[in-house]
Formats: sequence, C-alpha cells, structure tokens
Amino acid sequence: MKALGIAATGMLAQQTNVDVISNNIANANTTGFKTSRAAFQDLIYDSVSREGALTSEQGTARPTGIDVGLGVQTAGTVRLNTQGGLSATENGLDLAIDGAGYFVVNMPDGSRAYTRDGALRMSAEGELVTLQGYSVDPGIVIPENTQNIEINEQGVVMAFVENDPVPVELGRLTLATFINEGGLRPVGNNLLEATVASGDELSANAGDPGVGVIRQGYLENSNVNIIQQITDLIAAQRAYEMNSKTIETADQMMSTATRMR
Amino acid sequence: MDTISHVALSLAAAMRRDLEVTANNIANANTSGFKGERVVFESYVADGATSGDRTDFVIDAGSYVDLRAGALTNTGNPLDIALNGPGWLAYRTDDGRTAYGRDGRFMTNGDGNLVTVSGAQVLDEGGGPIGVPPDAGAIEIAQDGTVSSEAGVPLARIGLFDVPAIQSFERLGGGLFVPPDGAVSGAVPAVGTAVVQGAIESSNVQPIVEMTRLMDIQKAYERAMQINKTHDELARDAIRRIGRQS
Repeated sequence: MKALGIAATGMLAQQTNVDVISNNIANANTTGFKTSRAAFQDLIYDSVSREGALTSEQGTARPTGIDVGLGVQTAGTVRLNTQGGLSATENGLDLAIDGAGYFVVNMPDGSRAYTRDGALRMSAEGELVTLQGYSVDPGIVIPENTQNIEINEQGVVMAFVENDPVPVELGRLTLATFINEGGLRPVGNNLLEATVASGDELSANAGDPGVGVIRQGYLENSNVNIIQQITDLIAAQRAYEMNSKTIETADQMMSTATRMR
Repeated sequence: MDTISHVALSLAAAMRRDLEVTANNIANANTSGFKGERVVFESYVADGATSGDRTDFVIDAGSYVDLRAGALTNTGNPLDIALNGPGWLAYRTDDGRTAYGRDGRFMTNGDGNLVTVSGAQVLDEGGGPIGVPPDAGAIEIAQDGTVSSEAGVPLARIGLFDVPAIQSFERLGGGLFVPPDGAVSGAVPAVGTAVVQGAIESSNVQPIVEMTRLMDIQKAYERAMQINKTHDELARDAIRRIGRQS
C-alpha cells in the first residue's frame, strides 16, 4: 500500500519542521540569529493514466489523468534574512549592522567566515576579535592607553589615545555582501560560510548603496518571532498526527483485507 | 457469472486509490502553494447475458486538482510572495520546460536570478529569468508583480498568467504543473491577480475534510470486503445444500 509510504514522508517532513522550529526557539535570544523555515514541496507524481492520452481515433484526448502523488519532501531550509531589532548595550565594542552585510571573520585555519554578531572584544594584543577570539577583518589593533574608541556609521574605527583630542584613524571594518545570502551555510557560533550557491563575497563598505550602516553600542537581536514559532509548532504537531491517522487507516484497511476469509 | 466479487473488488481498488491520493494531500498539508488532488469515480456498466441483468462497476475515471486558493500566511520575508486571484507563476525547470505553479517562496541563486526553493527559475512576463543585482538592497514587489530595488529602480516584472487548461496538466512535484507532452500551455497574461509581498500561500488542503474522507474510505473498503464475505458465504451455503440433495 502506497499510502503507508506517503504518510511516512509526511511524518518525516513534520519531524524536520519541528527540528527547525525548536532550533529557532532555542536561539530566540542569540545575537544576530536569523530564523529558518523548513520549505516543503510535493514529491513526484505517479501518472496512473496520462492526461492527453488519445481516447479515440478522431483525436479526442483525456482531459484529466490520474495523478497519484508520492508524498512530501523538505526542499530546503530558508533563512529569513530580515533585520533583527537593535538593543542598546552601551558597550563601545558592541556593533550592529543596520541593513545588509556581514562582518568578515578571519578563521584560525585561514578561511573567512561571516557573521551578523558584532559583539567584539579586544585580544591580549589589542586586536578587535569576536567572542571566540577570531580576528575581525581587516585586523584592527587598538593602541595602548586608548581612552575611548569611536566607530562611525561607515565602519571607520578611531581611537582617542591618552589626552590627545584628535582621534587616530585605525582602519575601516570590512563588510561583505552576497548575491544570494540565503546560500550561506551556517556553521554554528553565529558564523556563516560562503558556498557555491551564495557566490563569492563582494567586499563593501558600510554606508554604500544597498549596504547597511554600523551602529556602535548596539547589538542586533535575533529576528525570531516567538508567537509565529509556537503557532507553527502547533500546526506541525497536528500535521504529524494527521499523517499517523493515515497510517492507522491504511493499516486497518489491510487488516480488513486479511480478515476477509 | 460471479460478478459480485468483482463489483466489490472494483470498489476496494477504487478506495485504495482514493486513500493514496488522500494520504498525499495530508502529507502536503503544510506545503506552501500545494493544491489538493481529488479522485473522480465513474460507474462502468456491463450488460449481462439476459436483459435487465446489469452490473455497475466502479472505476477511477480520473483525478482533478482542487484549485481553491490557500490561506495567505504572513512571513515578513521580502522574497516571499503569494498570489491573490486565480493566476499562476511561470517557472523554467532544470530540463528547460516551462512549468506553472503558485509557490512564491523565492530566493536568489549564485547568478542573481530569482529561483524557487528547488532551483526552478522564476520567469518574467516575456519568459525570461528575473535578475536581481547584488546592490539592489531590500527589493520591493508591487501588486502587479513589478520588482524594484530599494532605491526604486524597476528591475523586472514577475510573469502572472491565467492558465485555463491547468486541469489537463501533468503534475511534476515541487508544486509544478507542465503541459502534457507536445501540448501548448495556452497561458495568457493574468487578469485580476495581485501579488502580495511578504506572505506565502498555504496549502489548500483542509485537514478536517481529509480526515472525514479517511473515515469514509475505510468504511467503504470494509463494506466491499463485507460484500465479498457475504458472497463467499452464499456460495458455500449453496454448495452445501445442493450437495446434500443429490
């Protein structure tokens, strides 16, 4: 009975759905986290009789066929790349991107990763690093005796050293944009990696057209909408139950058939 | 002779087909843009040897697509669109065929073209791909399908079509409908269909209806089996009685 297999694909899909939703809820308070959504599509169809098949020599054709679908599949998880809310932290090294773009993180293995999490800290050498201690491109080093750090909307980092009223310009934070942000692969720790689907990074500066600006003293909240997630969770559970009902029906029908004699 | 068990069998076979289609509808209760499928049964009349000896068999004549719109769900994603009205979106599949569907969960691929989750290209009014340059920012999609960049520069217009012959189309999966081999699509620019940005169309499967159909199917199947059983008992009884007399 195909119905058993079809319902099984439905249950599997809803399991994936619950996995994705629970990860969203778990990360509701993660800085820069973007909600994901499992995207489902119907599987292929078994054309039991084809539409358009000739029904007479005069060329009349079947207006409709019999298409039996074989279930559902998870076509992908789509990241919702909308802006998260900004919350003020009053920490001069907390940065948020208001608009499109990613901070570029130089990974210890020499590769580059991308993040929306701008909670930066200073390393022992005075370099601007992420919370994992990875340097943030282009590797800005804060001089000793710095009293205050100013980072403007364009990402230019300036330091007020000692009592000098004129700030020292230390460099400009690189932002990266992508043709297809959705193609970036999440690798945990708030980091994303470029893939063939996302295309290579396009270096940009904060404040360019189509690129966001940097807000010092703010962090970007996750864009998880908890109410939405909970309602999705309810829908997923009900859908799971309905599929199990299909299995039950198919099972009972088979048992009716075996009990026939 | 012995048409009884075949009549019952035709009902049982039809119910199994109906169960498969219903199972698929339920499995896709959360698939965006999904259109439920319905099976149509017909009676097939066989005239017996004597006049008046008429038997109706059930055959599954075909299945059709339930074209009612699904509810619009707000997602807030600027690349999600839903269609309000009877129109269809056009896609180019991997093998180059033009397909129609109502799945509006778009993204851009590595080349900057608008694609569906499974990678089918979304087509504009003229049947060409829709390119979104990387500096377009947050794109805006107007009611008539016009895609414009954040700065307000129009980029393309998403093709909206009325497809009168959609019922005769083959279902490809992935929410796609293609014309059967060699047939023309007959698609014309849509009238009265509006694009809603930031929302997706939910599956139009109604869970309650599907659940009651499951019950109906099961009962009908049991009935078919019961007919068979009764027929079997009748035959056995007849054999026993006739055997005793001779």
